[in-house]
Amino acid sequence: MLDAAVLAAPPCDTTAPVVPLARQAWLLAKNDLRQELRDLELVLTAAFFTLVVLVMFALAFAALPAADQTLAVPGMLWLAVAFVGALTLTRIFDREREADTLRAVLTWPVDRVAIYFSKLGVTLLVITGCGALLMPALGLLFPAAEVFWQRPLDAAALLVLGCLAYAAVGALFAAGLATASGKNVLLSVILYPLTSPALIFALVSTRALLEGHAQFHTYLGQLAALDAVLVAVASWLFEPVLLGSNARPAERRPSARAKRTP
Amino acid sequence: MIKHRLPLLFFAVAALATPYSVQRIFLHTGIEKKMGTVQKIFYFHVPLAWIMMALGITCGVAAAIQLRKAATGRSRMAESLSIAAGELVLVTGLGVLITGPIWGHATWGRAWTWDARQVSTGLLWLVFAAFVLLRRYGAAGSERLAAALAVFGAVDVPVIYYAVKIWKTTHPTTDVVGSLPAQMWNSLWPALGALVCLTVGVLLVRIRQEQDAAELDDAWIALDDRGRALTLGGAP
Amino acid sequence: MRREDAPAAATAKPDKDDAYEPVTGRDQETVQCVRACEAEAAAKTASDYEHVVWAYGVLWSLFAGYGVLLWRRAVAQRQDLAELRRRIDEA
Repeated sequence: MLDAAVLAAPPCDTTAPVVPLARQAWLLAKNDLRQELRDLELVLTAAFFTLVVLVMFALAFAALPAADQTLAVPGMLWLAVAFVGALTLTRIFDREREADTLRAVLTWPVDRVAIYFSKLGVTLLVITGCGALLMPALGLLFPAAEVFWQRPLDAAALLVLGCLAYAAVGALFAAGLATASGKNVLLSVILYPLTSPALIFALVSTRALLEGHAQFHTYLGQLAALDAVLVAVASWLFEPVLLGSNARPAERRPSARAKRTP
Repeated sequence: MIKHRLPLLFFAVAALATPYSVQRIFLHTGIEKKMGTVQKIFYFHVPLAWIMMALGITCGVAAAIQLRKAATGRSRMAESLSIAAGELVLVTGLGVLITGPIWGHATWGRAWTWDARQVSTGLLWLVFAAFVLLRRYGAAGSERLAAALAVFGAVDVPVIYYAVKIWKTTHPTTDVVGSLPAQMWNSLWPALGALVCLTVGVLLVRIRQEQDAAELDDAWIALDDRGRALTLGGAP
Repeated sequence: MRREDAPAAATAKPDKDDAYEPVTGRDQETVQCVRACEAEAAAKTASDYEHVVWAYGVLWSLFAGYGVLLWRRAVAQRQDLAELRRRIDEA
């Protein structure tokens, strides 16, 4: 649990030399990635999960007629991304919580938004990596999804933009739940309704790609615009959410009485 | 004083406007040609959907104010407003989600057709259900998280509507609102007025309750502090 | 309009009251067809009314339910306040 005093303290970078935000975020992300490379926990669990899901899809949908595949494959892709994303996001701040390093990071001379962007970057990397496993595999398994092989650039752009929309929302709420006292169950309660528009958008675009729809690039542009909006709003909200709590005193101090007024 | 009377005023207006709009809808408005009598549901269903969206956006804006103006009086007011509006989104949303399928059952023969509007309203309802769940069951300190959720919910309102619309491009959508005779529009406004007054009245009551709860909390804390000071042996 | 027609028709043929007048356009088939249509329309109207009543009922009971919730909350708050007053008086 984060110390209220640390959280309430102003950010320390007011007098420090100004390091560009992108560089700060990169340094933080590099730190996370270095740790990740040491034990590969996130990457391996996510990749294994993806593999299992793929096997399940292959078994369940192997006999699907080609006409139905264009409808089913986008669903498989983004459902898998949503699950892997939730898995990654619950872990992404766990390390900070276990070793209590978030408090240390908060006292560093960094912009708080840089923390958000670093976490967003790592999450995006992991789930895009899983998507990069999923897409070609789905392309091999299902004839209707061969487009993923034929138009790799479009497919990659779609994957990155869709994952970004998901990760932008997810990183914010994972951070918020890391500071609140560990009710991680709530992450999926929050995450799935909130990311559903982004996922529907990604779903539509993927279907357009599979069907060779002319409007695919329009959808891609709209998805990019949605990404911009989501990242902007999330980074705007990150500091107030992370800096914790103007909780009512009674909630912080249950000793005052048995039960707070409903 | 006026603060206490204001909800009563709204309830009074609603109490007058509701019978007026009901008699107007049933006795003085023609029966719609294609759908028949069942179209009467429209006069409360559509305003309720508008109110639901307005409440969702109100909830998000209030939550944003709550987050940016931390720990001041205004923050508390905004917090109360966002809680009240969020809960009312659930109530009005439930109304929309139940009356809609009843109407659909009569006109389309099926209650739930995965029509674009049904899906988007359902999704929106889920977002605010998550908000209320988080407010209620989240650990201490999660109220800022809930506020962030509400802000995203408000941002999601147009996105959801647009996303679902393009998702359903292959399906025909019935555009009821917009091609109505003037008489039916004129019967819609009193119904809208009645529902708005009712909702605003309930909203004000709920806000007041939330503020009272906060003040009660403060009072309990103050009492506890005094008790501690006494038991520690210090002068009161 | 009808009211004006009726007396005019009555005065036009006062002495033909008991004369036989065949009913035209009311053969069995038409009557049955009209009745079927009427029955269908009545069923539709009844079903519509049922739907409308359910919809309105659900709507108002939802608000009423929320009202009850608010009322219960208010009662709990009042009890809390009374408890607080008691504690303050004790102290």
